[in-house]
Amino acid sequence: MGGFFSSIFSSLFGTREMRILILGLDGAGKTTILYRLQVGEVVTTIPTIGFNVETVTYKNLKFQVWDLGGQTSIRPYWRCYYSNTDAVIYVVDSCDRDRIGISKSELVAMLEEEELRKAILVVFANKQDMEQAMTPSEMANSLGLPALKDRKWQIFKTSATKGTGLDEAMEWLVETLKSRQ
Amino acid sequence: MFAKLKKKIAEETAVAQRPGGATRIPRSVSKESVASMGADSGDDFASDGSSSREDLSSQLLRRNEQIRKLEARLSDYAEQVRNLQKIKEKLEIALEKHQDSSMRKFQEQNETFQANRAKMAEGLALALARKDQEWSEKMDQLEKDKRFLTAQLQEMKNQSLNLFQRRDEMDELEGFQQQELSKVKHMLLKKEESLGKMEQELEARTRELSRTQEELMISNQMSADLSQKIEELQRNYSTLEEQRDHVTASKAGAENKITALEQKEQELQAFIQQLSIDLQKATAETQEKEKLITHLQEKVASLEKRLEQNLSGEEHVQELLKEKTLAEQNLEDSRQQLLAARSSQASAIDSLETRVKELEQSLQASEEKLKQSSDVVAAQEAQIQELASANKESSCAQQQVLALEQQCTEQIHTLEAQLSALERARAADHAAAEWKVRELEQENAGLKESKNECEHSLQHHQLELKKLKEEWSQREIVSVAMAQALEEVRKQREEFQQQAANLIAIGGEKEQSLQEKTEVILQKEQEILQLKKGHDSALLQIHQLQSELEALRGLRAEESEAAAARKDLLRLRGQEQGVVLSVSEPHVTSRAGQDPAYQLPAAEGIPNGEMGTAMDLGQLQKEKQDLEQQLLEKNKTIKQMQQRMLELKKTLQKELKIRPDNELFEVREKPGPEMPNMAPSVTNNADLTDAREINFEYLKHVVLKFMSCRESEAFHLIKAVSVLLNFSQEEENMLKETLEYKMSWFGSKPAPKGSIRPSISNPRIPWS
Repeated sequence: MGGFFSSIFSSLFGTREMRILILGLDGAGKTTILYRLQVGEVVTTIPTIGFNVETVTYKNLKFQVWDLGGQTSIRPYWRCYYSNTDAVIYVVDSCDRDRIGISKSELVAMLEEEELRKAILVVFANKQDMEQAMTPSEMANSLGLPALKDRKWQIFKTSATKGTGLDEAMEWLVETLKSRQ
Repeated sequence: MFAKLKKKIAEETAVAQRPGGATRIPRSVSKESVASMGADSGDDFASDGSSSREDLSSQLLRRNEQIRKLEARLSDYAEQVRNLQKIKEKLEIALEKHQDSSMRKFQEQNETFQANRAKMAEGLALALARKDQEWSEKMDQLEKDKRFLTAQLQEMKNQSLNLFQRRDEMDELEGFQQQELSKVKHMLLKKEESLGKMEQELEARTRELSRTQEELMISNQMSADLSQKIEELQRNYSTLEEQRDHVTASKAGAENKITALEQKEQELQAFIQQLSIDLQKATAETQEKEKLITHLQEKVASLEKRLEQNLSGEEHVQELLKEKTLAEQNLEDSRQQLLAARSSQASAIDSLETRVKELEQSLQASEEKLKQSSDVVAAQEAQIQELASANKESSCAQQQVLALEQQCTEQIHTLEAQLSALERARAADHAAAEWKVRELEQENAGLKESKNECEHSLQHHQLELKKLKEEWSQREIVSVAMAQALEEVRKQREEFQQQAANLIAIGGEKEQSLQEKTEVILQKEQEILQLKKGHDSALLQIHQLQSELEALRGLRAEESEAAAARKDLLRLRGQEQGVVLSVSEPHVTSRAGQDPAYQLPAAEGIPNGEMGTAMDLGQLQKEKQDLEQQLLEKNKTIKQMQQRMLELKKTLQKELKIRPDNELFEVREKPGPEMPNMAPSVTNNADLTDAREINFEYLKHVVLKFMSCRESEAFHLIKAVSVLLNFSQEEENMLKETLEYKMSWFGSKPAPKGSIRPSISNPRIPWS
């Protein structure tokens, strides 16, 4: 029924919900970011076996944000969610120097998907509040972002627990999505 | 074989310094015969076993012959045996002797060797200790020196680094200074340029000012001229006005005259009209008179006619004539009167006409005059207008002049203000520039001071450097000396090594000789063994022969010889055993002798009576040991390096571990667009269950969400659900259609197709 009304509203006002995926390795902080964006609070999370989907309103734009579990065994199911995606928020743990290679390969594999060809990429260099965190430029290089062609991307240093950097990133995302429409 | 043995024995005896006593028996023949015999007998014996009885007699005969031959041979053999026994005895004796001698020799050698070894060991130990101490002292000293030198080197390096840093800083400072100086210079130049510009501007302004002043002067002059002109013009104007007044007055006079003249003219005209009227009257009178005249003339004519007709009537004619004459007289009078009147009239008209003419002339003249005067007036008016316009112009010009003056004054003021401002600015600039210059000079001075300081410090550092260099050179000299010493030591070492190598070579040679000797001994032993074997074989042959003999004799019942042969055999055996025992003993002892030699390979090749070289060898070996210790230390360092390498390798392997993961992941990711193959293929067994659990969790979660969330979200989950549950394309499409139907307002529910039933018919790969 809610869907019914939402469909009515969407048909009336013509504002399509933006579909955003939050992806990243396990323990990068995707679920924390999702709920930080939705309710503005830090929630205690458990490893996501599956996904979380929430509707986030930001600057009169409605986002249907999907936070997909990042564990190794369920990463292959990411591609089931790729269709009709407007933007991908790729969350990377800035302190996890050992697995940034894996993160990069996942990112590269994801970006090669045809269904995500037009999706905007926002990389969250998360956990910047930690001491040994890598700098965003370092991470961008580690993830091979400068080599990306035909892709609108931006990296933001964020801290989901402190709440820093998320607003700038969402601002950018909203502006980019608006300009793309 | 025997010849060899014999030779060896001869040699042995020669070595053992026992000449003579050697028996020369032609054994080669006997050996050959024995060999041939054995072969023959063997063949015969083999053929015998399978022969038939019929040939027995002939065989017997042959056998008898053979036996005879064999007996003869046997006797030969017996002789040979005897000879052999003799030889054997001799050999035994020789062997015993040899054994004794060799034993003795061995013992002696052993003793001497032991003694030597003990001595050498002591000597070596002593020398070792001494060398050890010396070397340790040397090493300590060297290490101390080395440490000292390394410390100094470090210090020097630090100092040199500091120096370099300071030099760099100095260079930097100088660079900065130069930059500053250049900046300052640049600024100064700029300022000077600006100053020059300003001055030029100022000059230009002053020039402009002077020009404007000149202009002003000119304009003033012009204005003065103009005012003079104006005055002149005013004067002209006034004169012209006066003239005009005159003219107007004359004009008025003329006009008055004109009016008077006109009045006169009018009067005259009136008079003329009167006159004309009079003239008309006179003409009318004249016409009347002429009519009267004509009438009178007619009367005259009638009267003349009547006269003519009344000639008679003369009185009458005379009266008529009289009357005629009267009438004529009257006529003439009237004519005269008329003529008079006419003349008077004509004269009056003439006079009037003359007067009119005169008046007209005067009028014309006056009119001309008037015209002239009016012309003059017009000209004067034009002049006046011109003058007025000129006046206006002059006033305008004056105004302009005033405006110009004002402008000029303003300009002058502004220019003066600008001038003053510029001068002020210039002064300020000058001041600023001077101040800047001063500042810059101060800076320069400061920089120079700092530079001087830096130079001082540099000099100081250079001095330090020199000192350090001197020290360094000294150290270097020391180190060179040390290196030389080290090189000497190395040379010594090399020499020692060479000596050692030589000694080792000698030792090796000696070892070789020893080995040769041992080999000789071994060979001899082997020979002995071979001899024994030969003995054995001979004995065996004998035994065989004897057995054959016995067999033959058994056939012939001749057991006595066999018994004797057996006795011999037994005896031989006993002797043989003795020989064997005696041979085995030195073997053992030689083994025993070899063992210590084996244990001490260093002292192995030391021959008797060569203690000096042995000592040297010991020393060299000690050095060698030292070197080996050094080698060990180096090995340790190498091991440490290897440990580091291992650590690095571990870290590398960590990274390498990641790579296989990636590869694995890629492999997992590869399966392509086919959905059933999407499930990750986990190789590890433990992972499998774990993954299965996680997958189950995942499936559960996804299905739960699919059922609970709104349609728009559920629509995106169709794919995930169909992948997880291995839905076919049709099933997935059905799900999509159903959801679309649910989401849309209109439309019909998609009819469930037959193929949508749970497909058990084609069992799919379960989601792992």
